[in-house]
Amino acid sequence: MADIQSKTETAESTSRGPIAMQLRDVAVSFHGRTAVRNCTFDVAKNRVTSLIGPSGSGKTTLLRALNRLHDLTPGAKVTGSILLEGVDIYRGDLTVTELRTRVGMVFQRPNPFPTMSIYDNAVSGLRFNGIKKKALLDEAAESSLRSAALWDSVSSRLKVPASNLSGGEQQRLCIARALALDPEVLLMDEPTSALDPVATLRIEELMTSLKSRVTVIIVTHNMQQAARISDDCAFLLMGEDRAGELIEFDTTEKIFNNPDDSRTLDYTLGRFG
Amino acid sequence: MTQIPIDLHPDDEVVAEFNSATTVRTWYHYVLLIGAALFALVSVGFVGTIFWSSLPVWLHHGVTLLTGTGWIGPTGPFGGVPMITGTLETSIIALALAVAIGLGTSIAIVFFIPRRIRNVVATLVELLAAVPSVVYGIWGLIVIAPWMAVTVDPWLNSWPFAKVIFGNPGQQFGGSLLLASIVLGVMILPTFVAISREVISVVPQDLIEASLSLGATRWQVIRNIVLPTAKIGLFGATFLALARATGETIAVALVAGGVANAQFHLLYPGTSIAAWIALTFGESQGKEIAALMALGVLLMLLNFGFSLISRALVNRQRKLLALV
Amino acid sequence: MTDIVELDEPMESGHEMRDEIRRISHRTHARRVAVSRTMVALCSIALLIAAVPLVFLLYQLIKQGAPQLNKAFFTTLPSTPTLIAPNVTGGVSNAIVGTIALTIYASILAIPLGVLVGVYLAETESKMATSLRIIAQTMAGAPSILMGLFAFSFVVHDLHIGFSAIAGSFALAVLMLPVIVISSEIAVRNVPNSLREAGLALGAKPHRVSMRIVLPTALSGIVTGALLAISRAVGETAPVLLVIGGGFINAWQPFNPVSALPLAIYQNAKSQWPSQRAQVWGVALVLVAFVFVLSLTARIWATRKQQVRN
Repeated sequence: MADIQSKTETAESTSRGPIAMQLRDVAVSFHGRTAVRNCTFDVAKNRVTSLIGPSGSGKTTLLRALNRLHDLTPGAKVTGSILLEGVDIYRGDLTVTELRTRVGMVFQRPNPFPTMSIYDNAVSGLRFNGIKKKALLDEAAESSLRSAALWDSVSSRLKVPASNLSGGEQQRLCIARALALDPEVLLMDEPTSALDPVATLRIEELMTSLKSRVTVIIVTHNMQQAARISDDCAFLLMGEDRAGELIEFDTTEKIFNNPDDSRTLDYTLGRFG
Repeated sequence: MTQIPIDLHPDDEVVAEFNSATTVRTWYHYVLLIGAALFALVSVGFVGTIFWSSLPVWLHHGVTLLTGTGWIGPTGPFGGVPMITGTLETSIIALALAVAIGLGTSIAIVFFIPRRIRNVVATLVELLAAVPSVVYGIWGLIVIAPWMAVTVDPWLNSWPFAKVIFGNPGQQFGGSLLLASIVLGVMILPTFVAISREVISVVPQDLIEASLSLGATRWQVIRNIVLPTAKIGLFGATFLALARATGETIAVALVAGGVANAQFHLLYPGTSIAAWIALTFGESQGKEIAALMALGVLLMLLNFGFSLISRALVNRQRKLLALV
Repeated sequence: MTDIVELDEPMESGHEMRDEIRRISHRTHARRVAVSRTMVALCSIALLIAAVPLVFLLYQLIKQGAPQLNKAFFTTLPSTPTLIAPNVTGGVSNAIVGTIALTIYASILAIPLGVLVGVYLAETESKMATSLRIIAQTMAGAPSILMGLFAFSFVVHDLHIGFSAIAGSFALAVLMLPVIVISSEIAVRNVPNSLREAGLALGAKPHRVSMRIVLPTALSGIVTGALLAISRAVGETAPVLLVIGGGFINAWQPFNPVSALPLAIYQNAKSQWPSQRAQVWGVALVLVAFVFVLSLTARIWATRKQQVRN
């Protein structure tokens, strides 16, 4: 089953366009216990790829392997290969900090740095990377805040503490913060699950417009959201041994209308969640 | 007994809901009330008794106490300046030492030590706090003082501004302000570490992950995200350590030299408020005791002041994090 | 290739900025990592420096003190050095007896009241309770010599009892009281609300719920707090220095002057007789051992009860 899947993927990946990241047999384990495995798919450039599945299926664990956040966790082990523009991010000639400037992340709960202003939050990534030139910082701040659809409402109060913003605005600030480094890939871990419907909608609109600038990989447990905004879909499910695994990867259209695997169909029809 | 209006209204954390109209005041509630009243009484008595005993000195010799530089028993004059300057000098230097080492220590404990060893290391630092003051005193007196006399003091005296800071005594005393400051620093270190460790470790994990995801190095995360977020709480830890430093009695009594000279040269002997009370009380009577009680009032004000500031800061830190 | 939707900026300028960002990042990378490694090393060194005094101190204690410990040390009274017989013989039984007596009396005074007030604070929401809580925290950090002054003023002087064990116990009790209040309140607050609610749901009156359900559950936390308070009181010199009188007989009666371990150390340290000064290490070792055993017992008790509950 897995062989057939990878064959169809390789055939289809060329038709979806150039590849941003490639995953080959990626698995993550903690102190020997596998959390997610069997992940093989290609993330195409300038498209939104969503990781869907019920809770516990390993979606977030997989996402965090893509910017090496598991390096923080003692006992965590990532096997298989993850390639960014052809370079293995774990074993290749790429430092962790460099990787993270090219692959940004937005988290579930809005987490702007509380002691910093809006401006300082937006440019924090650049400052971490040693950039001090005011002209460059200003340019990156404006560009990223525009991309996050925040510029109009905050440009007059950039020095105000970030905690003054509403929840939805804070999340867009976090998106701007990640975008300021002009990454190639943006990872988003359930970015709207802590927000109200109006804010959620605005961020979904944002994600669609961001495609032209970055490749988006988003984890969501909201199926309808995945159907609305993503171009490609990876469906993960927890197996009997409590380890998540990739069941199917394909275009969103196919996953939701005519999936290959019956479990995928069950999930998208809401038969379990 | 006065009717103290106790409002036993419902509170999530404490008692389950019940209608205040049906509150039954049983003997249980009265017993608790009596206990509370007794505690209040003891506390008031604590402050009041010392203040009352010292009242004559404040009324008639208050100015002398605060500005006089010599303490002559048994009839006076009783000048408190040497004790005040000694307290401030030793406490501040001790604080500087404790914060310098303690900040790095708590950062290391929270971030760099593997979880398994963390408890052992933390317990070790807490055991440091459990060692009685008198034991630090004899350790300072018998072990550290001679070592300093041979190794450290000559080196310090060779510094360019030595005369100004250290005094260049050229002779060995039974104790010095510098020794007292160092021993004091070791004693308040665990206090500072305990609180700063707590404050640093509750900085939300996702702030740390967010900064790492932007390409920050470990130190950048600590310096630019963790420490600023914990800043208020760290000041709280500083003030608590300062409070503790001002109150340390026996160790300072043993190693500071016990001389009431109003000078600040570090290699000369000196004293602190608490140490002076401990050293002089035994042989004093009447007027001198009242003067020592007055010193006690000063000590109380200093210590309570720092304590309350610390408490306010730690509370503000907690509220800040609740908003994050 | 891609659908041009609403682009904020032309692609070209985006890449320019990106290139410059990457260039500067690459250029500064080595320095940033080096700074990080250095600071991490410095913090680790600080940790080591912090651990050194304790290790050093314990080493000295054991090295100098252990040889002095024998049966006679614990069971005989010290002799007073004279010019003819300048070497101290005997042990510190007076100090040991005194410390035990002081600890027992102080515990009787402080623990019941402290637990009572702790329970009060945990179960009451009022301005009075908040004020008492602040008072307890402030007093817990108060210099211990002030307790000695208080005991002198009140017990020795006003009550005309004079230098005695009861005066010293009073001072130590005032020292222990706020600590026990704070730890008891925490212990009671840590009892899950669900337990309380279950009791009330079964129809028990609130005060019965407190006594029969909450307190027994909080007991281990209360005991831990009491043990820690005792371990602190045992080591304090300043409060007892002023009021217990000292003495060289095995006194323990409440109204008699007594000795105590920390006092013995202090007196010996300041003594003019070298033989007395040399004896401090043995006594110090006994005191530190006593304090450590109490502290560690409290800690182990606390974690073990936690595990049982889990």
